[in-house]
Order: sequence, then C-alpha cells, then structure tokens
Amino acid sequence: MKNEESLAYFLNESKTIKIDELGKKIRIAILGSFTINGVEETLRVKCSQNNIDCRSFVGEYNQYNQEILRENSELYKFNPELTFLILDVRHILGELFFYPYSLNDLEKKEFSENKIQEIMNLLKTIRKNSKSQVILTELQVPTYSPYGINEQKEEFGIKQMVIEINKKIKHEIKNDNFISILEFNEFVQKYGEQNIFNYKEYFSGDMKISIEYIPKFCNELMRFVIAYTGITKKCIVLDLDNTLWGGVIGEDGFDNIQLGENPVGRSFVEFQKRLLALNQRGIILAINSKNNFDDAMEVIRKHPNMVLREDNFSCVRINWQDKVSNLYEISKELNIGLDSLVFFDDDPVNREFVKHELKQVLVVDLPTDSSQYCNILTNMKNFELLKITDEDIKRKEMYLEQRKRIEFKNEVSNLDEFLKQMDIKIKIKKADNFVIPRISQLTLKTNQFNLTTKRYQHEEISSFSNDKNKIVEGIEVSDKFGNNGITGVYIIEKTDSEWIIDTFLLSCRVMGRGVEDIMLGQIIERAKQENVKKIKGKFIPTAKNKPAENFYKEFNFRKEGDFWVFNTEQETKKVEHIKVIENE
Amino acid sequence: MSEKLYQIISEVFNIEIGKIDETTSPESLEQWDSFNFYVLLNEIEKEFNIKFDIDETLEIKKIGDFKVLLQKRGIEWK
Repeated sequence: MKNEESLAYFLNESKTIKIDELGKKIRIAILGSFTINGVEETLRVKCSQNNIDCRSFVGEYNQYNQEILRENSELYKFNPELTFLILDVRHILGELFFYPYSLNDLEKKEFSENKIQEIMNLLKTIRKNSKSQVILTELQVPTYSPYGINEQKEEFGIKQMVIEINKKIKHEIKNDNFISILEFNEFVQKYGEQNIFNYKEYFSGDMKISIEYIPKFCNELMRFVIAYTGITKKCIVLDLDNTLWGGVIGEDGFDNIQLGENPVGRSFVEFQKRLLALNQRGIILAINSKNNFDDAMEVIRKHPNMVLREDNFSCVRINWQDKVSNLYEISKELNIGLDSLVFFDDDPVNREFVKHELKQVLVVDLPTDSSQYCNILTNMKNFELLKITDEDIKRKEMYLEQRKRIEFKNEVSNLDEFLKQMDIKIKIKKADNFVIPRISQLTLKTNQFNLTTKRYQHEEISSFSNDKNKIVEGIEVSDKFGNNGITGVYIIEKTDSEWIIDTFLLSCRVMGRGVEDIMLGQIIERAKQENVKKIKGKFIPTAKNKPAENFYKEFNFRKEGDFWVFNTEQETKKVEHIKVIENE
Repeated sequence: MSEKLYQIISEVFNIEIGKIDETTSPESLEQWDSFNFYVLLNEIEKEFNIKFDIDETLEIKKIGDFKVLLQKRGIEWK
C-alpha cells in the first residue's frame, strides 16, 4: 500500500514481520469494549519498526470483564507485560449516554461512583492476577447534550459527570506506578471527534474508532510501549543553518539570519522553545553543524532572539567534518549509544547519508517548510518514560558537568592523577521506594557495561528487594564537579555457601573511573565478612557489552563452565582513589 | 476507473490484480471478511473522494457491485 498511514498498509505489513533477534521483546494484551480489529496488527508493525518483537493477545469482542475476572482466563495464561484496557463512553454509560436527564443529580452521582468502582476493581484485579502494567483509556467527554447551551448551567450534567469519572480514576491511580491512563480526550482533541467517530462504521460493526484513525490511535498506544521497553531517545542532535535559525550564517551574516522578527524567524524561535522545554525535562541537546566555529558560536552566544544558549548543549561539533563522523564523536563523548540519538537537519542529502551510514540514529525528515518544525517535534513519541525520575531531570546538568570533566581531563595528563583529583565518592543505596524505579530503569537501558543484560521491570525489582536471599543495591556516584545520581546496580542471590551475581551494571556516564572496581571490591569484602567462600557470575555477551568482557578476569575470577568463579580467600584488585560512604 | 479500483482491491486483500474480476465475492475470496470489507470501503471512499450510503454498503455482494455505485457517482468504468 502506498499510503503508510492507512490501516490497510498495516494489515498487510503485519503478515510479513521479520523478527530481529537482538531487539527487545514485549507481550501486549488488548481488551476492548468495542470492535478493535486492526489495533493488534498495527501495533505489531509499529513495534517491529522499532526493533521490538511484539507478541500479542486480543480479548474476544467485548469480553473484557470475563477475561479480567476469571483467574484462569486466556488473558492471564498469556502473561502480558502491558495490558491496554480500551473502554468507551457509550458502553460505560449505556442508555444514560442518550438520556442523561433521566436521572437526577444525586442518582447520576451514585451511578458514576459505581462505574468508578467497577473500573477500579477491573484494574486492581488485573494487577492482582498478573504482573502486567495496565493502561486504561479515559472516557471521551461527550460534545453533545440535549440541553444545548444550557448544559453548562447544570450542576452535574452529562459532560461534568464524565469529566468527574475520569478525574477520580486518575486521582485513585496517581501514586500507582503500574497503572496509567491513556488520555483519550487529548487524542480526540488532536484529530477531532467528527473524524475519529464514523457513524457508518459504528452502526455497521460497532467500530468506535474509525478505520482511518486506528493507526493514529496506535501511535498513542506506542508511547507506552516505547516507555515500557526503554527505547526512549536521550539526545537531540541539531544542525544549525535552516534548522535552528533561517538562512546560512556563513553567507547571510549575523544580522541577516532569520530568528524572531518575521514569520520565518518566529517559527525557528518557537522550535527552539520546544527544544528548550525538552532539555529542561532532561533530554540532552547537541550540535552537529558544518560551519566556522566562531561564526556559529557568535549567534549562539550573542543573538538577542536565540533561545538555546551554549550551556543548553552538552556536546558541540561545529566544524567541516562530515555529519556521520561528528555523530560518532558526539555519541562517544556523551557516552551514549547511537540508538539514543535523534538527528535534525534540514538538508536531505545529509539526512540520507546519516540514514545510510548509521541505521541506529533516528533521522527526522524535516519538511522544507520551517513552520512545520514545531509540529513535527511535538508529535514525536520517542521521548516517553513510564516515570520521570530525579535523574532524568538532573541529566542535562550532569552532562554539562561531564563536559567540564572532559575539559579537566585534557588539562591533567596522567589518568591516575586525574582520577585522584576528581575526588570520587560512592554511596551504596538499598533498593527502597525511591531507588527502585531508577534501578529498574537502569536494567532496561544499560547496554555497554552490563554483564548479564537482564531487563527487570519495576515490579520485579520491587519483589527482589523484599527477598531476604537477595541483595539489590544502587550506587550513587559523585565527584568534584557534581552528583551523577544512581548510576550503578547489582543484584546478588545469596545462598549459605556462595553468592551469585545476577546483575551487575554501570551506566556509561561513569564508566572508566574505577567505580565498577569499587562495586565488585566491596561485594567481595562483604562476602568475606559473611564467611561466604565463593562468588560467581556470568558474562553474557551481547552486541554491545564488550567493554565489560574482561571484567571478571581482571579480578582473578576463573572460568568454570558458564560461570566466572572467585574464591574469597584470593587476592584481588584494589582501587584507592574512591571513597565509599557506607549504606544509607 | 476499474484499473484504480482493482489496484485498491489488490492492495487491501493482498492478491494479484489478475485474480480479481467483477464476480469476485466473499465466497470466492477468503480475505474478504466483514472487517476487511470495511477497510476496503474506507480505501475506496478515500481514493475516489466519495461516501457510500449505509444501505448501499449492504448491497455490495461482489466486486461488480462497486461498479454500479461508482457509476452512480459519475465515475466511469472503463
């Protein structure tokens, strides 16, 4: 099918999905109160476009109650990781949808309380019977009332009632990390009720989202899939000329580039504002531009309408190198994978070159019309997280500190001397409610220094932390330039005679500073104190974790079958430049 | 316009154009189930910028029936 937005395209593509063995995996269940054909197929295609192998389960038409309430239902046998519960307002309100004033205010309040309880009970039952994250669509607020313009004067009218139901459910799950709401009204606002709801399709087959809008609806579902699988993008790499401002600085000059003042210039200013807001939320920004460094920096430093300034960019490459080499360097300097980068460039030739050379980088196809830049950025779903942690908010400061560290490292010639002067301290933090989301996030996202690459959801980390036979801890690293936050994790299974290292990882942000050595060193120390004779762990190779390949070997672990084994009476590596602040 | 129509049918049902004729119907084509039928309707409506009435959609029993409906809207069947 030519049109890559149409449901027909997705239905056909879903039959020929190729699975990438190295990609992420996810099990998705979809339950609906109406005909949701096409959702499952579209989701699988969209997942495969993101290198996610999606296994799916679709509840029978309008059988969601049975699926959820029966403990041995097909839903629970399927064992989903994400469950979408897609309920619609006509179904929930029944006849009241048409005759809202057949009940008085008091009766309507009672009715809505009952509905809230029913829905909450469903959500809680899914949680009780499975480990699934649950996503509920909120109810669409009706745009029609038989009372017309007098509806607004009603104490508890039909619209008010639906708004109340949505609001109360949101409130009830506010602090629940496992249940989220898909803001369906936002979706309807964006595309319009007249488009999304097609009466002909509805009367023909109880389709309450039109065939044409199923793919767009699936984009909304994908936001949760992206967040859950942790394939979130971390960094936006930006070209300058005709991307952050109109015109070419090298030709038009400081006074003639378009930024503010006129219609073209305004579109760039607003684009920068949207970028700044993402930066404030923790998405890091970088520059990749072919320009004279001084010309371009003059604009960034001095132009009165520039929104993004030098300190908003964690990495700057303004030079005459090709864009691909610069992207490599940016990824290396920031210590994040190429697959965490999004690249914005107005030049289609550059884009094609990057797409061709660096398949992992998400290259955004900017149109020639700069007024559309904002729209494209604000419609991207690639920056979603299930929960925004403190580390995410602080990230941009951390990377700025990182830039200063690199500058400092270039001043100090000897690595040992550099590390000593860095004044590195680590704090060991037990997995509690504050630390658990971050530990889970690290297991989902860390690829390079990760010995076993086991991915754990919040729920699993939470249950490990309550297990007396497990140690689950996060490592907070700080130095003279600032706090890196929790950047290391290990999970250990204890038996009387031996400790098995199930997970051991370090965020790339702090690699190469001896932190990993301190982490393992103090695990060994603690094992000795508890008279444990043997520590063992696996190194499971992946496409990305080569940096951790020789880690156990350097600590005198011996290879025995699948395991690397250490006898705690042996000597091992010492690290002196790091201070450990004991368990908090 | 039969060419354009057959193109859409072939893409929606994922079959070769050569296998479609005016007599093609749900009985002769496995992919033609009730849901795919509405996907097809939607694609035809978009392509020819028309809307079918709901009672017309019930009369469509084979591909040839589209011919009548398109002609009714002044779209010539070559």
